[in-house]
Amino acid sequence: MGEIVKKKRNIRRYFVIFIIVILTVVYMVPLLYIVNTSFKSWSDVQQVPPTFTFKPSIAAYIRIFTARVVYSSGNQPTQEEIDQMKWYERLVYEETGEKIVRMGDLPRRYLNSVVIAVASTVLTIILGTIAAYGFSRFKIRGKDDLLFFILSTRMLPPVVVIIPVFLMFRTLNMTDSHLTLILLYTAFNVSFAVWVLKGFIDEIPIEYEEAAMVDGYTRFQAFRKIVLPQATTGIAATAVFCFIFAWNEYAFALVLSRRVSQTVPAWLPYQMGVLGYDWAAAAAGTFLFLIPAMIFTIILRNHLVRGITFGAIRK
Amino acid sequence: MNNNPRKKRAENMAYRSMKDTTLLRIFVLPVIILLIVMNVFPLFWSLVLSFSDYSAKKTTNWGVNPEMIGTENYSQILSDPKMWNRFITTAKFVLLSVGLQMILGFGIALLLHQVKFFGKGFLTTLLILPMTMSPVIVGIMWKLFYNPNYGMFNMLLGLGKIDWTTDPNFNLFGVVIADVWMWTPFVMLLSIAGLSAVPQYLYEAAEIDRASWWYKFSRITMPMVYPLLLVALIFRTMEAFKIFDVVMGITGRGTTAPQLLSMYLYNVGFVTWQTSYGSALGYIMLIMIIAITSIFIKYLNRAKQ
Amino acid sequence: MKKILIWLLVIVFTASLAVSWMGCKQKEEAVADSITIHWAQWAPADNLQALSDGFTEETGIDVIVEQTPWETFVQKYNVEMIAGSDAWDIIVADSQDVGNMAINGHFVELTDFVKEKGILDAFLPSAMYYYAEYPKGFERYWGVPVEGDALGWAYRKDLFEDPDNMAAFEAEYGYALDVPESWDMLKDIAEFFYDPDNEFYGVAVYGDNGYDSLAMFAEQTIRAYGGDLGNFETFEVDGYLNNEGAIAGVDYYRDLYQFVPPGFGDAFFVATNDAFISGIVPMATNYFAFLPALANPETNPFADVTGYFTCPPQVGVDGVERQSVALGGQAASVVSYISDEKKNAAFKWLEWFAEEETQAEWATMPGSFTCHEAVLNSDEFLSAAPYNPNMKESFTLFQDWWAVPQYDEMLRTFSEILGAYIISGEGTAEGALQEVTDIWTGIFEEDGYYDPDFDPNDF
Repeated sequence: MGEIVKKKRNIRRYFVIFIIVILTVVYMVPLLYIVNTSFKSWSDVQQVPPTFTFKPSIAAYIRIFTARVVYSSGNQPTQEEIDQMKWYERLVYEETGEKIVRMGDLPRRYLNSVVIAVASTVLTIILGTIAAYGFSRFKIRGKDDLLFFILSTRMLPPVVVIIPVFLMFRTLNMTDSHLTLILLYTAFNVSFAVWVLKGFIDEIPIEYEEAAMVDGYTRFQAFRKIVLPQATTGIAATAVFCFIFAWNEYAFALVLSRRVSQTVPAWLPYQMGVLGYDWAAAAAGTFLFLIPAMIFTIILRNHLVRGITFGAIRK
Repeated sequence: MNNNPRKKRAENMAYRSMKDTTLLRIFVLPVIILLIVMNVFPLFWSLVLSFSDYSAKKTTNWGVNPEMIGTENYSQILSDPKMWNRFITTAKFVLLSVGLQMILGFGIALLLHQVKFFGKGFLTTLLILPMTMSPVIVGIMWKLFYNPNYGMFNMLLGLGKIDWTTDPNFNLFGVVIADVWMWTPFVMLLSIAGLSAVPQYLYEAAEIDRASWWYKFSRITMPMVYPLLLVALIFRTMEAFKIFDVVMGITGRGTTAPQLLSMYLYNVGFVTWQTSYGSALGYIMLIMIIAITSIFIKYLNRAKQ
Repeated sequence: MKKILIWLLVIVFTASLAVSWMGCKQKEEAVADSITIHWAQWAPADNLQALSDGFTEETGIDVIVEQTPWETFVQKYNVEMIAGSDAWDIIVADSQDVGNMAINGHFVELTDFVKEKGILDAFLPSAMYYYAEYPKGFERYWGVPVEGDALGWAYRKDLFEDPDNMAAFEAEYGYALDVPESWDMLKDIAEFFYDPDNEFYGVAVYGDNGYDSLAMFAEQTIRAYGGDLGNFETFEVDGYLNNEGAIAGVDYYRDLYQFVPPGFGDAFFVATNDAFISGIVPMATNYFAFLPALANPETNPFADVTGYFTCPPQVGVDGVERQSVALGGQAASVVSYISDEKKNAAFKWLEWFAEEETQAEWATMPGSFTCHEAVLNSDEFLSAAPYNPNMKESFTLFQDWWAVPQYDEMLRTFSEILGAYIISGEGTAEGALQEVTDIWTGIFEEDGYYDPDFDPNDF
C-alpha cells in the first residue's frame, strides 16, 4: 500500500519537474534568440526564412565596441594593407567592408551605468533604511498618509515630470552629470525601499532596542547594532530591485544625459550605421549589458526571496 | 550610591526623549525632502501648467502669450472622441497584461513550491532573468523576434505571417506577450516568497485531518499569500498604466502602434510640444492610477489584519 | 567575508561619488578652442567627425561631433534649445525646424555670413531655399547645408532584365518592363511582382507615421498628381491639399501600399533596406543617405545587380506632367546661446566646411552628400557611387515640407489622419485630406497668419 502511494508521489514529482523544465526552456527562448542573433553575420540576420544554424561570427561584438566608417569604393584597402590588419580589423572588413576608426562609446557608457546604478542604490538603501526605521518606530502624525504619498510618487508617468525636472536641472547646469541621474533614481526608488524595509523592520521586536537604550545606548547606536544586522535580508532584496531599476532606466536617461553621463539603455537601442540597423551588434550589446544585472541577481537570489517575505506582510 | 541607578535611568529617559524628536527628524526628513524636490515640486509646476495653454516651444515672438485658460485643456481631453478609445485600449492592456502575469507568476511559483530537486535554484534564477533586462532593449529585441519575414516568433509557433507589431488586430497582444514575459518573474518571486512563509505545520495538521487539496489551498495557502499577491498586483498595475519603453521598442508611437495613453502623452508632450495639454493628460492619468491603486491598498490593509 | 564586502561597497560608493563630482567639474572647464556639433547618429555624422580632423589640423580647434539617435534627435535638441543651453555650438538640425529655431531665437542669423563668404552663390539655390531660408522667399538664411538628401529608389536589375519577366510583363500590361518612367508604371511593376505565396512582394515603401516617413513619401505622390501641401509664401492650404490631384496622389499611395511585405506598418529606412537585402522585393525606396548599404557587396548580397532610379515624373489629373522628390537632409546652424569666442570658432568651421575642397572630400564619403554646385557637377562626384547621378538629378527636383514653427503639429495631424487611411484603409482620401486641410487652416488662422497685417518676416 505504501509502495504504491510512494510511486504515485514520485511520478507526480517527476511530472512537475518535467513541466518546470519545459517551462523554463520555453521562457528562455527569447533570451536565447538574442544571444543567437549576436553571433550572426550581417546578412544572416535578415535571412528569410530565419535559420537556427549558421556560421557563427563575433564581428558583432567587435562592432559594438568600435566606431567605424565604410571604405568608399574609391578607397578600398590594398592587399598588403589587408595583410597588415589586426585580426579584429580584418573580421570587420570582411564582414561589412568597414574600417575601425576608434574605440566606440560602449565602455564609457557601461562605466556610467555602473557608477550611477551603484551610487543610487547605495544612497537609496541608506535613506530608505533610515526613513523606514523612523516610520516604524516613531509616532508620526498622518503616518499612513505620508506613506501613501511616498508610494504615489511612483505612480507618476515620467513624461509628466520630465520637462519641469529637466528645466530644474538646466538651471543648476547639471543636465549632463552623473549626480543628476543618481539623485533622480534615488528619488524614484526610495518609495519602494521605504515600503519594503518598513515592513521588514516592523518584524523586528522592539524590545531589543528598548533594552539596549535602557542600558545606555543611544537610539542611533541601537539602530546600528540591533536593527541593521537583522534587516540585512530585506536590505539585500531592496538593493537588487533598486539596482535593476537604475541599471535599466531609459526615459530620464534619454533626456538628462548627453555625452558625459549617458547610460547604456539610452544609447544601445539605436545602432544605426550607414549600412542600416545593426541588429547583431544591438543583440551583442544587450547580452553584455545583461550580465552584471544577472550576476547581481544570482548572488543575492536567496536574500531576494527571504527579503520579500517579510517586506510586505506585517505580523 | 543607591540613588545613582534611578537617577541614571531618569536621566536616560529624558536624554532619550529629547534626542528622539530630533532623531526622528533626521531619520525621516532626508527622504521627504528628496521626494519633495524631485517629485512634488515638478508635479506642482505641471499642475499649474495644465491650466494654461503653454507650449514649451512657443515664445512671444509669435504674438502668442501663454495664458491661464482654466479647465479648457481638461474638457478638451475628455471630449476628444479618440480619447475614449485610448482609455479602453490602455484598460485592455492593463487587464490582459497584469492578469496574465498574476496567473502565470503564481502558477509557476506553485509548481516550484511543490518540489525540491537538484538544479531548482538554477532554474529559478533563469526564470528571474527577463525581469533584469532593460525594457526598451527588450522591446527592440522582441521587435526583431516578431518580424514576420525574418524573425523567429511566427516560425517557432507555426503561425504564418501574423504581424504582431503593426497590425491593429494583433499589436496589442504583441506588446502584452512581451510585457508578460518580462514581468511574470516579478510576480513569481513575490509568490515564492509568500508560499515559503506559510508554516509547514499548518499543512501537516490539515493532512492529519485528511483535508482535501482545495481546502488546504483556499484556507491555508491563499490567506497567507494574499497580501503579497496584492503587493504584486499594486506595483504591476501602476507600472502597466505607465508603460512606455517596451511599446516604444516594439511598435514605435505611430498610428499602427497600440493607442495607449502613455504613447499619446509622449506624442503630445514631446513631438508637438503641447506642454500644458500633456500636463493635463498626465494628471488625469495620475488620478486614475491613484484611484485604482488606493482600492487595492485598502484591500491590502484589510488583509494585513 | 562580510566585512570585505562592506568595505568594497563603501569604496565603490565613494569612488562613484568622486567620479560624478569630477564629471560635474569638467563641464566648467570647457575649452574655448573646441567646438561641439550635434547631429543624428548615423554614418554621415561619423564622416563629419573624420572630415573635421582636417579642420583641427589647419586651425588647432578641436571638433567633437556628438550624435543622438534619429528617433530622439529632434526632441533632444528641441528640449535643449528651449532651455537655452550652450551644450552644443552647432546643430545640424532638420530642415523643417528652420522656422521654429529662427523665430524662437535659438539660431544665429547667417544672412550676411553666407552672402559675404560666397556660400550663397556656391551652393545650389534649391538647397539654400529649403535648408536654410526662412521665411521662404525673404532671403534670410539660418544655416549652411551640410547633408543634401532626397528619397531615391533601388531596384533589382536582374529581375527587371530577366527575359521571362519582360515577356510576361509586356503580355500583361502592354508595354516593356523597364525602369519606371511614371508613378503609374511603378505601381504596375509592383503589382506584377507581388507574389505573397512565394514570399515575394511588390515594393518596399515607408509606412511609419510616428514622425515624417509616411508624410515625406506622401508629399511626393500628392505633388506628382497635381496637389500640394499649400503655398509656402501665402500660407494658403485650401485648394492645394484638397484638390483632385492631392486626392489622386493619396489614393495612389494607398494602392501602392497593398504591395508591401507584411509588417510594414511602421517601416522606415531600416525596414525598406532590410527588405531589399533579404531579397523579398524588386524595388525599395530610401533616402540616398541610406543607399550605401545597398551598394556595399558585404551587406547586400544583391549589390552588383542593384540599380538606382530617381522618383519618376507623372502626368497629373490635370494633364500636366510633374516630377517631385521628397527632400531630406540637414543644415548646420549656430546656436545663439554660446559665447562669442565659440561663435567665432563656429563661423570659422562653417567657412572651412563650405570651401570647394572640403566639399569635394565630403562628397566622396559614403552616405554624405554635398550641396555645393560645382562639386555636384564634377565627374569625381558623379562616378564615386552608382546612385550619385540620381542624387544630383533629385537636387534640382526636390521639395520639402512646411518649415513654419507649427510644422510638427501639422505633421502629426497629417500623419495620423492620412496614415489611418493609407495603412489601415479607414475613411476616404477625400475625407482625410479635407479634415487635414481644415485643421491646418485652423492652425494658421489661430496663429494669425491670415491677418491682413501679418508679416512673416517680423522677428
